[in-house]
Amino acid sequence: MRPPADAIGTLSLIVGVIALLIFIGVEGALVYAIWRYRASRLVAGEAAAFEGNRRLEIAWTAAPALILAVVFVLTLGTMAEINGAGVAPAMRIEAIGHQWWWEFSYGGVKTANELHIPVDTPVDLEVTSADVIHTFWVPELGPKKDMLPGVTNRLRLLARRAGSYDGQCAEFCGIEHAWMRIRVVAESQSDFDAWLRTQTQPRATIETKAEPIFLANICVNCHTIRGTAAAGTAGPDLTHVGARATIGAGVLLNGVGRMRAWLADPQRYKPGALMPSVPLSDADLDALAAYLVSLK
Amino acid sequence: MTAIPLWVRRPAGERVGWLRTVDHKEIGVLYIGMGIAFFALGGVEALLLRAQLATPEARLLDPETFNQAFTVHGVTMIFLAIVPLLVGFANYLVPLMIGAPDVAFPRLNALSFWLSLIGGIVLYFSFLAGGAPDTGWFSYAPLSERAFAPGTGVDYYILGLAVNGAGTIIGAINLAVTILLMRCPGMSISRVPLFVWMTLVTSVLILGAYPAFTAALVMLFVDRQLGGHFFDPSGGGQVVLWQHLFWFFGHPEVYIMILPAMGMISEVIPVFSRKPIFGYAFVAGSSVAIAFLSFSVWAHHMFAVGLGDTENAIFSATSMLIAIPTGVKIFNWIATMVGGRLRMTTAMLFAVGFIAMFVIGGLSGVSLAVVPIDLAVTDSYYVVAHLHYVLFGGTMLGIFAGTYYWFPKMTGRLLSEVLGRWHFWTTFVGFNLTFLPQHWLGAVGMPRRVFTYAASTGWGPLNLVSTIGAATLAVAMVIFFVNVVRSLRSGEIAGDDPWDAFTLEWSTTSPPPPENFASIPTVTGRRPLWDRKHPESRDAR
Repeated sequence: MRPPADAIGTLSLIVGVIALLIFIGVEGALVYAIWRYRASRLVAGEAAAFEGNRRLEIAWTAAPALILAVVFVLTLGTMAEINGAGVAPAMRIEAIGHQWWWEFSYGGVKTANELHIPVDTPVDLEVTSADVIHTFWVPELGPKKDMLPGVTNRLRLLARRAGSYDGQCAEFCGIEHAWMRIRVVAESQSDFDAWLRTQTQPRATIETKAEPIFLANICVNCHTIRGTAAAGTAGPDLTHVGARATIGAGVLLNGVGRMRAWLADPQRYKPGALMPSVPLSDADLDALAAYLVSLK
Repeated sequence: MTAIPLWVRRPAGERVGWLRTVDHKEIGVLYIGMGIAFFALGGVEALLLRAQLATPEARLLDPETFNQAFTVHGVTMIFLAIVPLLVGFANYLVPLMIGAPDVAFPRLNALSFWLSLIGGIVLYFSFLAGGAPDTGWFSYAPLSERAFAPGTGVDYYILGLAVNGAGTIIGAINLAVTILLMRCPGMSISRVPLFVWMTLVTSVLILGAYPAFTAALVMLFVDRQLGGHFFDPSGGGQVVLWQHLFWFFGHPEVYIMILPAMGMISEVIPVFSRKPIFGYAFVAGSSVAIAFLSFSVWAHHMFAVGLGDTENAIFSATSMLIAIPTGVKIFNWIATMVGGRLRMTTAMLFAVGFIAMFVIGGLSGVSLAVVPIDLAVTDSYYVVAHLHYVLFGGTMLGIFAGTYYWFPKMTGRLLSEVLGRWHFWTTFVGFNLTFLPQHWLGAVGMPRRVFTYAASTGWGPLNLVSTIGAATLAVAMVIFFVNVVRSLRSGEIAGDDPWDAFTLEWSTTSPPPPENFASIPTVTGRRPLWDRKHPESRDAR
């Protein structure tokens, strides 16, 4: 199948050209009428009382109807195509919208904010929400789909080009709607398989100094680090947080310094986010930031 | 100030007259005053939004303030500015245009206005009572439920809009009865001016649409205050139900806001083309078609919800159908100009501007009926651009056309044509600078209602252009304001009929006396004043 974005691109081009022609025709007629019939270039007096023409009315009712009929048929075809009609998905991934981050689940293996998919492979994203309505939208991958609490919707994804695609939540979902960004990484099947294998593993670093800080604080109420006792589910799974490109669903690039700043005061970067500031000593913050970023 | 006979003459010293008036003209002026005041407030809110978005990752407004500002901007412009402005013109003009001394129920008319205004005040009181609503003008559940919006902002939204809506519903009943029962002798329904036709259709739309919204508001109130679960999935409710109810109201609301403005330019264009409207029956009939269809298109706001391909296809088809009667109107306006002798007054400039800009909003609207394109651009700045081409490029330019046209009737004085031209061109340039780039921003991925955006998105330059456009629009509105104030004080005296117009309101004094006409007129055609001035070439119909 064609990537949905390409199918929409073709349809947009056709509709765009039709719209442009109508635009030129109507605006042209308007400008011509103003230029041709302005009083200053005509003799004074009243215009002829010309009240209408039934044939013209029928013509300019029928012509748009015909154009729209064509557009409608094209619409139906593209609707079926972008849903992946007749092409079975090679894999299914669950996506759950949260205020204000994304949870992705590969058959129970959880990650957050960064969606990895194999390139050239039809993937079905099964989307729902844990709280309010969100919308999954990565413009370069085509259509968007609402994530509704209590409902599971399906979105077909197909990426032709390897690389990263940015997107973000499109349905207003509360105070930090603007910082609910998505990164989709499309990679070769072998890279994807390697990535998924890593994700399936428990945490990479067994670290005796910083890990107890994490486990002894309220971090564990919301976050999971597989391989440790931390098993909270309200916030993103942090088992491999160091491998992700950004922190806070796109608000900061990942890195030890920025991770430390984020841990010290998340509300400074994402006011309203559900993560509170945890009072920690400078030394603890340094250790914890380095530890989290090391979780690749 | 004695030179501004804007209101009906009343005994000297009577100061509370405006509070207890039941005169349709005074109530019309009150409505228009309310609309202008809230238009200014909504405009300031818009400028704050544009200032925040001018550069990426700006911190001028915090996210909470931004979310309140865009919510209140939308609610204000729709419910407290555009609708009152249009209802105000209808209140003032409909009895005059159909040769009636007043509306059918003058006291109900006063009640309508005061409910509409009190609804607006209740909404704005939220700013003093702990925070304005911050869930967007369509306030989707469950974000608007107490679990996610624990403040009182949404409660003020519910109360304010329910009260405001009651006023609008009562006003619609009044105008519909007036038009159906109080036309002067000879004025059959096929002879009423098109502005009156559009007001009638709009009134019917209000009666069909607003109650659905009121019901939804009551349900949300039950959820929030009485522990109901209408829209709460954890209690067996459905979040999508809110969207169905809201858009069953929300889409007809778009036509409630555009049809009267179409009616205004349907009066302005013939007078300044020196011709009768081309295809009167088709312009009126297409409005009826739009009214019927507008109740069957609501789910095109919900294509991404996942209703299913069959449902989406049906709503796609009805949404495309509604473009046909809309197109018919545009062709008829242009055909009215063809063969005419166009006087390009400021009123006519704004009317032509309406057509030029509304074509863009209409075409982008059709693109949103194409399901796959909608799925790409819905909830993005493309939609923001589209709706402003309809509601500003369309409705507001139409209201300005109507203002330049009828201001002399209401005040006895003409607005300045020089300032009017400055007003038009700064509006035209500022409007397109603001909203044209937003089509592109939406298509490349900028969602609506974001308080900021990452610098890496590359959306900065076009947003800056858009903000510069908004500042230009603000200048245009200042020019308009100066024009109104100066013309009220010292504008050229208009006389009864400054435009050599066609319809009955121009046959009485400017402003009209309390009883409107010395005696109830009798008409024999669609252009009664033309017939009176040109007995040798009276209209056949």
